[in-house]
Parts: sequence; structure tokens; C-alpha cells
Amino acid sequence: MAGASASAASHSLAPWGHRVSSWLDYTINGLIVGNVYALVAVGLALIFGVSRLINFAQGSIYLVGAYIGWVAVVQLHTPLPLTIIVVAVAAAVVGLIIERFGLRPLQNSVRIAPLLATIGISFVLDQLVMLTFSPNPRALPSQLPDVRFQVGGGTIGPLDLLIAGVGLTSALLLFAFLRYSKLGWAVRATAQDRDAAMQMGVDVNRVNQAVFGIAAALGGVSGMLVGMYYNQIDTAMSLQATLKGVVAEVVGGAGNVPGAVIGSLLLGLVESYGVAVFGTSYRNLFAFLLLVVVLVLRPNGLFASARQAPPEPLTGTFIAPSRPVRIPRWALAVAAGGFAVLPFFPVSFYVLQTLINAWLLGMLALSLTLVAGTIGQVSLGHAALLAIGAYSSALLSLTFSVPVGLAIIGGGLMSAALGTALISPSFRLRGHYVSIATLAIGEIVSLVILNWESVTRGPIGISGIPPLSLFGYDLISPPSIYWFSFAVMVVLALLQARLLTSHLGRSFRAIRDDDVAARAYGLSLNRYKSLAFIFGGFAAGVSGGIAAHLYSYINHETFNTQQSILALTVVILGGLGNVVGAILGSVALVGLPEVFRIAAEYRILIYGIVLLLLVRFRPQGLLGTI
Amino acid sequence: MTNASGEPLLALTGVNTFYGQAQVHFDLSISVARGHIVCLLGGNASGKSTTMKIILGLVKPRSGEVSFDGASLLGLSTPQIVRRGIASVPEARRLFADMSVRENILMGAFVRNDRDAVAQDLDKMLTLFPKLGQRLSQRAGSLSGGEQQMVAMARALMSRPRMIVMDEPTMGLSPLYVDRVLELIRTINQEGVSVFMVEQNASLALEIAHEAYVLQTGKIVLSGPARALKDDPRIRDAYLGGSEAA
Ligand SMILES: Nc1ncnc2c1ncn2[C@@H]1O[C@H](COP(=O)(O)OP(=O)(O)OP(=O)(O)O)[C@@H](O)[C@H]1O
Ligand SMILES: [Mg+2]
Repeated sequence: MAGASASAASHSLAPWGHRVSSWLDYTINGLIVGNVYALVAVGLALIFGVSRLINFAQGSIYLVGAYIGWVAVVQLHTPLPLTIIVVAVAAAVVGLIIERFGLRPLQNSVRIAPLLATIGISFVLDQLVMLTFSPNPRALPSQLPDVRFQVGGGTIGPLDLLIAGVGLTSALLLFAFLRYSKLGWAVRATAQDRDAAMQMGVDVNRVNQAVFGIAAALGGVSGMLVGMYYNQIDTAMSLQATLKGVVAEVVGGAGNVPGAVIGSLLLGLVESYGVAVFGTSYRNLFAFLLLVVVLVLRPNGLFASARQAPPEPLTGTFIAPSRPVRIPRWALAVAAGGFAVLPFFPVSFYVLQTLINAWLLGMLALSLTLVAGTIGQVSLGHAALLAIGAYSSALLSLTFSVPVGLAIIGGGLMSAALGTALISPSFRLRGHYVSIATLAIGEIVSLVILNWESVTRGPIGISGIPPLSLFGYDLISPPSIYWFSFAVMVVLALLQARLLTSHLGRSFRAIRDDDVAARAYGLSLNRYKSLAFIFGGFAAGVSGGIAAHLYSYINHETFNTQQSILALTVVILGGLGNVVGAILGSVALVGLPEVFRIAAEYRILIYGIVLLLLVRFRPQGLLGTI
Repeated sequence: MTNASGEPLLALTGVNTFYGQAQVHFDLSISVARGHIVCLLGGNASGKSTTMKIILGLVKPRSGEVSFDGASLLGLSTPQIVRRGIASVPEARRLFADMSVRENILMGAFVRNDRDAVAQDLDKMLTLFPKLGQRLSQRAGSLSGGEQQMVAMARALMSRPRMIVMDEPTMGLSPLYVDRVLELIRTINQEGVSVFMVEQNASLALEIAHEAYVLQTGKIVLSGPARALKDDPRIRDAYLGGSEAA
């Protein structure tokens, strides 16, 4: 997922502009792109079917497939059929390794563990690809003749036919596998009732292996085909592929393999027609709007019968329970005092700068630890709250000349209001679905920022944002910025700590631990979830607002999914729901790479590895969940 | 319960089971003699289903021993246990709802590799459960409860087990089907398959069982030959809501 900006319009599957002219062309393009999505989505559906897991690493395998294809084509000069086989086999091996070493050890862990592990794995894989091949785009020639045939009012090329052929062949092979092979029966049986399948003698580890292998092979080939389609590959492909695959899979009904195919074709068509009418930069917006609409109206997908229970009956067990580490108040007070007087000592501006970053991240982590930890809504789109706060504060101060201090508070309030309003339709979702919905909403926010040029200035971004100031005094010197951000974070942390010990905090945790029971006691889920998002939205918005004035320039890519995931890693490192943990985690993840002078391009790799190690060995984090 | 025929086929000895902090079994000992039907009676939440799960390896006991045919089952996974010759009819049947009846029954033979013999056994199931013949290509989830029970039993038999464990096989069935199921269990048993069944309805179960155990909040409070227990006044005191109803 690394290096992926929230929109990455240049990597979306835009049709070949000059060739696309008729509706038939848009239809063909939609179906071809849909075919590519289907190869990703089918794998996601298989995996979700047997293990109720959304594999966020699927896009990374797609990326790996594209680069293996590049090595095969450009360096080894393999003929096309052999290239496809090489990519499929190599990607399958990667999938098997992920299953065996990344996920199988987590079989008996809490439900959040495998989800987080796939996120960590995707970071690691993407970074490894980036470090091996550099982030610069590469050309991936298809070796097919560049001719187009006239079909009715449109045209079709050999590559279109290849993609359609691979899609169809894969579908037939998969169908035959599931219908006629013994392992295929085991896959279907496990998807329907894991325990009962085990009682028939099915070895579910082998079933998992099989689906990961198949999913990876299909995903890898898909990445290669996309690379050939645009004659370009780069590392930002990964997150986009995961997102599109997840959209298609959820639209078709999580775990429903034929549904995933239909969902993919539908997604391809919706995007293609959307582009035809509104233009390329809207393509992804349609995908995510489709996702949110489906999640809200038909969380089981378009084809699930109404009586069907949601495939994820989870409560409580999503978060690892643990006994939090008690830190005495005096120790916290001493630590806070120490940080407060730090600028009086001869420390370098570089240290202060690093800690300012930590305090800003700390505010975001406070927000996320409340939302994900205390009330159990694991958000993957938290950077959107930063963006809303940052844009609001920047525009308030620039356009309406609101004093910066007030503008930042305005940014916090805007983030609280807008963030809560955006997420509220998804309040009835649970577990993984919350994560998908928040991820999609995060993308939507960034796409709206990109496209709403009259307000946000679109891709140009906002420059000349006034510096931080308080009561008319500009805060320019690093110590003053340091004190300001530290003070704001401490105030937010104290408020949040107070909140957690109150009746409200207990209600939040009751909802997290068992929302069915909580509802039975008369707690209104919507109200409490709203309150949590309002509080959390404010903290994140303030962080974004401060950042905007600090950076003086922001655009739609300033606050991206990478930051959302970094915040999640921080929160898990500190212990979900743990206020002190969120701050400690921020200082650790921002500070340690500086202390060890780790080059920027290795940091994300390290965050991914940290996440993986935590999930495996200390899911309750450093200070324990609360 | 170990009778003249030697060591029991299945033996649980001194089993203690926990779900987190909560203890479900207290020093549980049960044995099933070869060729016998043994019944475990008990009220709701007494730990009956958990006993089944212990046998099948779905839940591991904290202490105690579980052995089948003289060998311990404790280190084994569920599929390995199934391969040793234990088949199950789970609580609420647990068919593969979206697969056909035929596929469900054949899933029971998952551990076997002798295709021809499996096909013959499928035919045999259709003589044993004649009603299923017309339903073979139907979705299993669309069958009635009684029909589903037949499929679940056929599915269990397809592995040619030495022992079948059943969790409340008569639950939720009409009286007609209850009789039919009990009769089938007897038939299965007469063909040499040992049966361990969990039941709430004592009077029904005692009619076909050789031996029975009564479980109360995780402890065996009574056990012995079914014939003796049927007339035992203590059985009414110990538990047995089902007996008055019948
Ligand atoms: N997975 C589990 N986790 C925690 N507790 C459990 C679990 N399964 C069962 N229990 C508890 O263990 C106890 C025994 O359950 P079990 O299902 O074995 O009872 P049972 O005798 O089969 O009941 P019933 O007649 O209702 O089927 C119950 O109190 C139940 O709530
Ligand atoms: Mg039970």
C-alpha cells in the first residue's frame, strides 16, 4: 500500500483517451477493466469465504505479479504464455508464504489480528518492491501487435482479447476446481461451515493454503495484465488494486465467488461510463460511492437474499482483552513536566521538530485509539479527518481572515461534524466492514478535495497558509511551536482520559465488547458512536489544522492512507484505547527512526514489520488495551 | 462400563475442561464399549456438547485423557481424529446448506479414496434413507429438519466409521421422525458401529442405549446400564425434564 496517495488518478485504469470514442468503446473498456478487477476480487472472495478475512495484501501480490512480469518480459525475454505461467506460479508462492508464516500463526488470536497482519504484510511487500525496483514507473510491453479491429461502433485490440481470455479461462478453471475436485469441495464446505468441514476430515490449513495460492496466482496475473494494458507499472498500483478488488467483492457479496465476478464487471462499467460523462478524475469516486451505498443499503452484497445473516457475526472478540499497565500519576506528571521544559535545554531544533511531529501524530492517535480501541470501530481512513481539519482551518484563515487559533478550533469542529456525518450511515456495520467503509470514506474525502476545485483549489492545493499564531503573536520559533502543539495534545489527552473514566467511557466499552448486549441494555449505538466520532474527529481535525499552518502548503495528497495506517500502528503499539499508549506510541514511531537515523524509504518497511511483530507477539501493545 | 469384551473403544478419563476461566467439566470419566450405544443425558448447559467437542478434538481439555481404540486422541487435530474412525452428527445438524444433498452425503466420505466403494455406499444410503433419493440434487438448506437429520446421518455413515458421535439427534423433530431416527440408530449400531449420543430426552434415549451417564453442571452424577437407569427413581430426581413429557 505504500507510496499510494489517496487518489493516484494517474494509476487508475483510464481508457486510452484517443481511441475511446463511442459508447461501445466505453462498454468494452468497462468490461475489460472489470475482468481485471474480477481476477483480484475472486481471490478476495475465496479467502473471505473460508476464513472471514479481508486480505488487504491482495493488491501487493498484484504489484508483485506486475514486477515479476516485468522481469520476465524485459530481462528474461520470455514469450507471453510462459510469462503468464511464471507470474502465476511466482505469485502463488508469495501467497503461500503469506498464509503459512503471516497468517497461520494467528489462527487462534483475536479477530483483528489477521486483518492487521495483512495490512502489515502489504506494507512490507510494497516497500520491498519499491526498494528493489525504485518507485519510478516502468514500461511493461505486452509483446502483442498494436492493431485494433473494428467491432460495430467500437474497436478492440489483441490485449483486450487476451485479458478477456484470461478472465474467462480462469473462471472456467476455478469453476471446475470448486465443482469437481476434492480440494474444491473442501473449499466450499469450509466456506459454509468450518467446524462441520473439519468434522468431515477436511484439513482447513490445506484449504487456506489452496485459496491463498489461487488468489495470489489470479491477483499476480491481474497485475501483470494491467501493467501491459497501460504499458506502465509502479508501486502505487497496490493500494488501488486492493481497494478496487474489495469494492467489487463487497458489491458482489463478501465471500460470494460468482458475485465477485459480477460485482467486478459492474464496477468496471460504472467507472467507464462515469469517466465518459464526468472525466477521468472522477473514476475512483464512483467506485467508492458504489461501495458505500452498497455497504449501507445491502451490506451482504447485491445478490444476497434478505434472510441471509451477515457473514460476520462478531462481537467482543475483535479486540484483544488485556490488563493495562498502570502508570502512576506522578510519573506521568514528571514525564509531562520534563517534555514541557525540554526547549530550555540546549536541544537542537531537529529534536524539537521531531517531537512536534510526534505531538501532531499523538493527537491523531488519541482520536484513533478512542474510535478503534474504546468503541471498537477500527478506522482505516483516519487521515481524512486530518484533511478536513487542515482544509477548513486553512480556508477559514485565508479566505475569511479568521485568526489562526480560532481557525484551528474551527477545523476541529468541522472535522468532528463532517467526519461524523460521513461515517454515520455506516454505524450499523461491524468489524471488517467498518474498516472497509472508513477506508472508502477516506478515499472519497480525498477525491472530493481533488475535484471540488472552486473550494479546495483541486490538484494545485492551498499555498500561503498563514503561520501559527495565538492572540496576535506569531508562533514561528521551534520552541513556541513545540509548546503550542504539546499543550494542545496534553489538553486533549486529559479530556480523553477523563472521558474514559466517566459513564460515557464505560458505555463505549460496553458497545465495543458486545453491541448486542449493549443494545439490550438500552444503549443507543448510533448516539454513542456519534459521540466517539465527534470527540475523535475534533482531536484529529485540530491536528490537521495545526499541520496546515505549520506546512503552509497542503494538497489532496498531504494526508493519505499511509498516515491512517501509521496512526493505526501507533495505536496498536501503545495499546488500543490507551491514552498514554497513543502518545508513547507516537513518540516511539516518530522518534526511534530518527534516533537510529533510518533512511526515509526504509521507515514504512519498518512500520510494517513493527505491526506484524506486534500482532504476532504482543497484540495488546506496550501498555495494554483498556 | 468396560465389559467382558476387553478395553473400551472410547474412554474419557478424569477430563477437566475450561472456557477461559469457566470450568465446564469436572473430572469427567466416560467409556463406550465396542458395539454399544452409550447415551449422555443432561439438562441445558450441563456440558454435553462440549463433551462431543472434546472427543472430536474441537476443544482441548486442560487435563485428563481421551483415548480411542487404546490410543490417545489428545495430540490430534479434528481431521486426524476423523481418520481414526470417528464420525459425527453435530448439534443442529450443520449441513453444508448451499451444497446439494448428494454433495453433502459425499462430503462424509472425504477421508476415503476408494471411489467405487464410495459410490456403492451412496447407493446403500439411499436404501437406508429412501426419501433422500428424490432430493439428491436439491440444496441441503432447503430440506425439512427431519430430512436434514437423515442427510446428516447418511453423511456420517459415509466415512465407514467405527464410532458415531451424535449431538441431540432427535431435537426439533416431529414424533414420527423421532421414532425413525431412533430406529436408524439401532440399525446402524447392529451393523457394528458404536454410538455415543448426547440427549436431553432421557426416556427416548434410554430405550435404545446400552449404557447411560447423567451429566449435571459438568459432573457425572449417575451412570449404569440403561435398563437399570430407566427404572431408577433417582433419575427423575437428578434431572430429566424430558421423561415427564414422554
Ligand atoms: N465457545 C464457548 N465459549 C465459552 N463458553 C462456552 C462455549 N461453548 C459453551 N460454553 C458454555 O459452556 C457450558 C456448557 O455448554 P455446552 O454447549 O457443552 O452445554 P450443553 O449441555 O450442550 O447445552 P444444551 O443442552 O443447551 O445444548 C455452557 O454454560 C456454555 O455457555
Ligand atoms: Mg448442546
